[in-house]
Amino acid sequence: MRSLFLALMLLPSFAFAEKVVVDVPGMVCQMCVQGMKKNFKSAVNNPDKDVIVDLEKKTVTVNLKEKISDKEIKKRVADAGYNAEKIAWVEVDNKKEKSE
Amino acid sequence: MRLFIFLCTILGGYAFAHPVIYKNGWVYQGNFMPQMNQMNITYTFDPRWSFGLNSHRFDGADEYQDVTLGFNTLLKRWLQHDSQGNIYLGAHYGQYEDNFDKGDVSHAFLMADWEDREDYIMFRTKKFFYDGKETQDYLARYGFAPFVAGMDELQAWAILQVYYYEEQNREALITPMLRFFYKNVLWEMGSTTKGASFLTLMVHY
Repeated sequence: MRSLFLALMLLPSFAFAEKVVVDVPGMVCQMCVQGMKKNFKSAVNNPDKDVIVDLEKKTVTVNLKEKISDKEIKKRVADAGYNAEKIAWVEVDNKKEKSE
Repeated sequence: MRLFIFLCTILGGYAFAHPVIYKNGWVYQGNFMPQMNQMNITYTFDPRWSFGLNSHRFDGADEYQDVTLGFNTLLKRWLQHDSQGNIYLGAHYGQYEDNFDKGDVSHAFLMADWEDREDYIMFRTKKFFYDGKETQDYLARYGFAPFVAGMDELQAWAILQVYYYEEQNREALITPMLRFFYKNVLWEMGSTTKGASFLTLMVHY
């Protein structure tokens, strides 16, 4: 019981934000940016800050409120009119993110 | 019919949105000229389909105005790492009215484009059904970006457009224009070689 209590106490310090980097070929303009923001809107806190489209590298980086499946990510990218080629999950320490 | 030819001529100088954007995306577009206004609302309900409402109003002698409704579809999209190509198809139907007459008006179009971050090519042909006749127009564009913009940065394009309407004395209309795209707002301004200037505003949600 004591160890369970200790584990629950320590849990918040190991909490991770959910960050995903998706390779999306063919993104060339601001319309692509708007499409990604719109279709990830419900999965993030602030689409303007949490959805970052790199038109040079053709990647979309999303800081999610909570983890969603790869299938869901592919669907959201497809709804924006594109194909998700590679999905890479990045574990980010919440506390570290906040202090930065 | 003569008025319609005139309308097609000046409409050919106008910019227009992509017929289909992203799911749940709205486009509000207005084209403004001294004697004519065009409004367009398009809703993309599926990544490959959109529904549009268009209205034209001409404040000239005949006071022509029309309203049309229709569907657009993205037939095919090619995605390369640094570029994309698209083929679109659309069909719209509605009613027109002027000081002398009223009736059905409809049009169907086929459009293809290709773009990367520095170059843009587009071709569109449109078939009109109006006043018991069929006519067709052709529009081609080439644009280049003087600099490459990143996310949420101002993107600028210099575009040359050639428009040909088959009933317009076999004469092509050439329109140089500038396009700016910042976040979800796009605007274009230019003037045809006949001296008809225009301004287009588009907002995407």
